[in-house]
Amino acid sequence: MADLRINFAGIESPNPFWLASAPPTNSGYQVQRAFEAGWGGAVWKTLGDPILNVSSRFAATHFNGQRVAGFNNIELITDRPLEVNLKEIYETKKRFPNHTIIASLMVEPKQEKWHEIVKRVEEVGVDGFELNFGCPHGMAERGMGAASGQVPELVEKQTYWAKEVATKPVIVKLTPNITDITATAEAAVAGGADAISMINTINSLIGVDLDSWNTVPHVAGKGAHGGYCGPAVKPIALNMVAECARSPHINVPISGIGGISNWRDAAEFMLMGSSSVQVCTAAMHHGFSIVEDMIEGLNNYLDDKGLASVMDLVGRSVQRYSDWGDLDLNYKVVAQINNDVCINCNKCHIACEDTSHQCIDLYTESGRPMLKVRENDCVGCNLCSIVCPVEGAISMVELKNTLPPMTWNERQAIMNQFAPTTNVK
Amino acid sequence: METYEDVLQEMAAIDAMLAEGYKFKVVYENLSGTFAELEKQSNTAMLQILTAEARKYLAVKLKEQVTVT
Repeated sequence: MADLRINFAGIESPNPFWLASAPPTNSGYQVQRAFEAGWGGAVWKTLGDPILNVSSRFAATHFNGQRVAGFNNIELITDRPLEVNLKEIYETKKRFPNHTIIASLMVEPKQEKWHEIVKRVEEVGVDGFELNFGCPHGMAERGMGAASGQVPELVEKQTYWAKEVATKPVIVKLTPNITDITATAEAAVAGGADAISMINTINSLIGVDLDSWNTVPHVAGKGAHGGYCGPAVKPIALNMVAECARSPHINVPISGIGGISNWRDAAEFMLMGSSSVQVCTAAMHHGFSIVEDMIEGLNNYLDDKGLASVMDLVGRSVQRYSDWGDLDLNYKVVAQINNDVCINCNKCHIACEDTSHQCIDLYTESGRPMLKVRENDCVGCNLCSIVCPVEGAISMVELKNTLPPMTWNERQAIMNQFAPTTNVK
Repeated sequence: METYEDVLQEMAAIDAMLAEGYKFKVVYENLSGTFAELEKQSNTAMLQILTAEARKYLAVKLKEQVTVT
């Protein structure tokens, strides 16, 4: 039985599964039920000046029969007074002293505002703070949230102000609505952040109703951009976590957020550098009890891998995440089709013929339709294996005896040695 | 659409030049592909490599020449 306890920037937690700052962590009632279900921690829904929310706040992308492939919200931070939230935080922490409560905070970019809210919230016994520099809607228009989070100087300054008065760890939550998240991550570190978390939600519009021409969702016939999350964003979030984890300029713990739905997703984020993970959409879709499978699944995985502690997983794949220019150009895989498993839907042939390298041939053998890859022409793009609906019908096989390894950067260095000394057309 | 036959042809052309004792002198790339100028004593030859796989092969041969010299 592996040890799932984590120590995140000095914050002890019984396991790495935290609820993200969002509707599931709006109240003490909810957070306490979550802790009863097994969640290790919760980031309380963002505290600040109480806002007003609209009705019709959420929408989702459903894809090919899969409900909630992605999720969009135009809900803002807490609409409850600070004192109400603080009372419930205090009560929750008293009832669950060993569980982690992080208070998410968002105020105007003014030093006195940050000092006030940090001091007041710290008094009720939170284990740490998460500074919300990421809400892409509603708050950004008021100079907060993503509007702060897209400006490194503001990230650094506000982090510094919070750290001036906080005695508990300060986590800075970063917006993905930016060209390079490592820039704001570095700014957070420069401001004194004890840790960073990412990603917040992505600017999005779910869709347009083809009958009414309204946006989805709409509020009395009008829409506004919202924040996208859920399984669809996992690759974007995982990349951003990995880019920060591999940066030599960012040496603080990372809490990974973005489409984590099960223990596998959590393990992937941890392998790419997260030492805690935060979940929202999956809990909203399936309820708090999903954490039971997450805990059991992660435990079993660690046992299978011979790892005694979940912390042994953190960052183990980071060194494998590289720049494109350092990938081996001469590494070669090719597709191989198992005709005993293949159902002859021909999707591989169609995809390859129309959109890739035209190297999957149809033929007949003893009256039976067959498919074969011309390996010499196969570039190993993986497309056929991706579109194939049958597990095991197509394998991508590594070829031996290819050329010696050479990266693009190495190639360019060699080419430069033979470059002409005069301009050649 | 490049075929494996095109790749083999271009690789064979590189190997043939090297087998005759030619060495790479100048190599450059532009919109039309990779151009390799080879020389052997006072003789020069030019290869234009179009296929991606043969361009990778060329880089390996360039590295071999650099390593030896």
